Amino acid sequence: MSGVHSQPMTRTHRPILKIFVSLSVVAVLLLVYLDARITATFIDKMWELPAKVYARPLELFAGAKIAPDDLAYELEILGYRKVTSARRPGEVSRAGNRFDIYTRGFAFADEREPARGVNLTFNGKRVGSLLSAGKNVDLMRLDPVQIGGIYPQHGEDRLLVRLDEVPETLVGGLLATEDQRFYKHLGFSITGIARAALSNARSGQVVAGGSTITQQLVKNYYLTPERTITRKLTEVVMAVLLELHYSKEQILESYLNEVYLGQDGPRAIHGFALAARHYFDTPLEQLGLHQQALLVGMIKGPSLYNPLRNPERARQRRDLVLGLMVEQRVINEEHAVIAKAMPLGLNGNRLVRNSFPAFLDLVRRQLRLEYRDEDLTTLGLSIFTSFDPILQRQLERSTTEVLNQIDSAAELESATVVTRFDTGEVAALVGGRKVRYAGFNRALDARRPAGSLIKPAIYLAALEQPEKYSLATVLADTKVSVTGPGGQLWEPRNFDRKEHGDVLLHTALSRSYNLATARLGMELGLDNVVAMLRRLGVDGPIPEVPALTLGAGEYSPMAMAAMYQAIAAGGFRMPLRSIRDIVDAEGDTLHRYALAYDRTVSLQAVHLLHYALREVVREGTGKGVYRYLGENFAVAGKTGTTNDGRDSWFAGFSGDLLAVSWVGRDDNGATRLTGSTGALKVWAHFMSRSAQRSLGYRMPDKIAPQWIDDQSGYLTGEGCPNSRMLPFIVGSEPGQRSSCTAGKKSSITDWFQSLFGGDK
Amino acid sequence: MVVRTGLLTVLRGVILAGAVVLGGCSVYSVPGGEPAPVESPTDYTPGNVESPSTPSAPDRPVAPEPNDSNAYGSLLSRASAATDRGDYEQALALLERAQRIDPDSAEIYLHLAATYTAKGDGTLAKATAERGLLYCHGQSQCDALRSYTR
Repeated sequence: MSGVHSQPMTRTHRPILKIFVSLSVVAVLLLVYLDARITATFIDKMWELPAKVYARPLELFAGAKIAPDDLAYELEILGYRKVTSARRPGEVSRAGNRFDIYTRGFAFADEREPARGVNLTFNGKRVGSLLSAGKNVDLMRLDPVQIGGIYPQHGEDRLLVRLDEVPETLVGGLLATEDQRFYKHLGFSITGIARAALSNARSGQVVAGGSTITQQLVKNYYLTPERTITRKLTEVVMAVLLELHYSKEQILESYLNEVYLGQDGPRAIHGFALAARHYFDTPLEQLGLHQQALLVGMIKGPSLYNPLRNPERARQRRDLVLGLMVEQRVINEEHAVIAKAMPLGLNGNRLVRNSFPAFLDLVRRQLRLEYRDEDLTTLGLSIFTSFDPILQRQLERSTTEVLNQIDSAAELESATVVTRFDTGEVAALVGGRKVRYAGFNRALDARRPAGSLIKPAIYLAALEQPEKYSLATVLADTKVSVTGPGGQLWEPRNFDRKEHGDVLLHTALSRSYNLATARLGMELGLDNVVAMLRRLGVDGPIPEVPALTLGAGEYSPMAMAAMYQAIAAGGFRMPLRSIRDIVDAEGDTLHRYALAYDRTVSLQAVHLLHYALREVVREGTGKGVYRYLGENFAVAGKTGTTNDGRDSWFAGFSGDLLAVSWVGRDDNGATRLTGSTGALKVWAHFMSRSAQRSLGYRMPDKIAPQWIDDQSGYLTGEGCPNSRMLPFIVGSEPGQRSSCTAGKKSSITDWFQSLFGGDK
Repeated sequence: MVVRTGLLTVLRGVILAGAVVLGGCSVYSVPGGEPAPVESPTDYTPGNVESPSTPSAPDRPVAPEPNDSNAYGSLLSRASAATDRGDYEQALALLERAQRIDPDSAEIYLHLAATYTAKGDGTLAKATAERGLLYCHGQSQCDALRSYTR
């Protein structure tokens, strides 16, 4: 029978079969493709995790030098809540100089700092005692402030959370609101789709979702946002596939991490853990019921129900969620009533993230030397930096205050780099007068002549030849003209347009005499000067022209910081570091930027230079710093001014901090400033409030002080006319002696005398 | 390393005596001798020695201050343990943390120099010891650092 009819049957049915077969093949291929897409990405490697950038953690111990208000500021930007009694992580109560802090704890690369309650008292500007559960704590770290992140182009940011870390009520609220049959369906809901189809048919458009949580996850994670029937079908198929492959718990956990919950500028807030931090500055597991309901309510429309912009609408939505939670028996009526009576509970603290654009810029540049952008935006790295928010706050205040005072017309710009020179770590950075503005980063990118800021390199090159030069060498500060490249005649002048005749080397530097310096530089040879700048760590082009001796060239504040860093550290070149460690998503250290230095300049020569740089601030062009600093607080530094006051520089250091400040105009126009009327003020304002250690004085081996006659440069006796004490590299003392061997000792102690220990 | 406070007291005595005996003469370091007093008028870290005649700064605490080395002592012993088991990176990380807490402790410089040496980095050991010499107190500590600079 089949044989009889087979002929016509095949004839008529074959095309249909063909179509059916090919459709099936396509469908199967499509299924395989969708399935592959799901299994390839789900669970593992599901998300790109931006790198998180952290400030240095604050070290606390009895004796730590920190002011109570600075600790309060650190806790504030960490988002610790001020309460009357700190009982939970992230809370602090303060009564005058007593702080009770419940720390959050933090997993550092080397160890886990536990969350714990600590009682801290102050003794002036030092931590007096530090106790936890009645016992002394020798040393602890607060959690580090997250100062930024390195986000991919699409700006997605999230903090991953495991399902067992999410409060049960939050999960209950989520299911009550978004998908009540979650544990019963197979990825899609017939009734939901039917209801949606009906309302779509009524309105003539695809409007309503009717999506299960699985569908929403598929839609958000895999699919584009347009609303078409094909896309809807794909969504359902993929939802079913997801359900077949993975457990309800895995799907729920992924949803909790994927869901979009608002925008913070270019940064998209994904997942409940990050949303909890963003809106409430509280870890997810510590959210109150009212806060949980608020976040659940926001899923429907993160911008519509944004509690920051539409608080009333958000509150109504929150209360509706709380109602659903009662209905679904997640919570009881009583709890809902209390939660509904609560305020929105939003984070009232300032958000510090990304508010330090200049420093983050530096971190990014250092990272990009070794990491691909893709790794930085996807691997969930933690970048631990040397950024010190307390120093940064003072630097910003000093910059703003001084600039407002010297330039009410707001025409001037400024940049400052601060390092801890013992370790070469950059601690604070201002790249422009508008400190929050992520524009032109002058600290790194300004290219300006350095003026007299460069002079120490010339004097150092001289002092490294003790057989020829000492601090008492006589230099001629007299008119000089040099034929430069291209036959141009270069005739520098002094700032006061005078010649000072024979001057001692230390005086020429401390008074910043140009003629003497230009002569010295030419005598040493420009190649020698360039080599010294290189040895001090100045990268980039250095013009080998006579005007280099007075700072010709293009230098950034950062380049000058590298140079002064080497000088401050005693002749050790160190790379300026902003990053300490990079830790991967599993908590293992990927890269530690170890302390490393290299002695490139004679210790003794740098020691002599330090003397001259101390003299700058005691007697020379930098005296103005003592209008800000205490008389006994020792610092060393150098002013720099370029033609017509286009650039005002000051570089200097105390016993702990080095800072280089620049003030000038972006258009390179003239200002009425000198180094001492502009940058010096920013520097001294900052240092007087931030530096904690006076610059110590230790003579290295093979150095001995001598009394000399400050006019002739001859050896002389204490109390003789023009007597001054200067350190010498042994063997480099002046050969001649003045006729005076001892005079009447002055009752006034000069700064240099106290330096060498003879105070009276 | 615990003797530091005791050493300091002795040192302070020596300098006091020196200031009295020598009057206006300068006290400065001769190779292998006692170091010169460190000028630190507004500062009072135990690593520094005050000049006896410096007038008090207004905010100086009166009571003896807790020693910073109490804070980082445990870091040093953990670093030593790490060095002993050959984990130099861990040791150096701990020592660098200690150094951030007390940047002018010669003791920490000494530990760092020893660790670099154990790791086989003689150049860095030498540079570290040379820097440490700017902060050392007492002949034995200075000599210990000096031994790494040769």
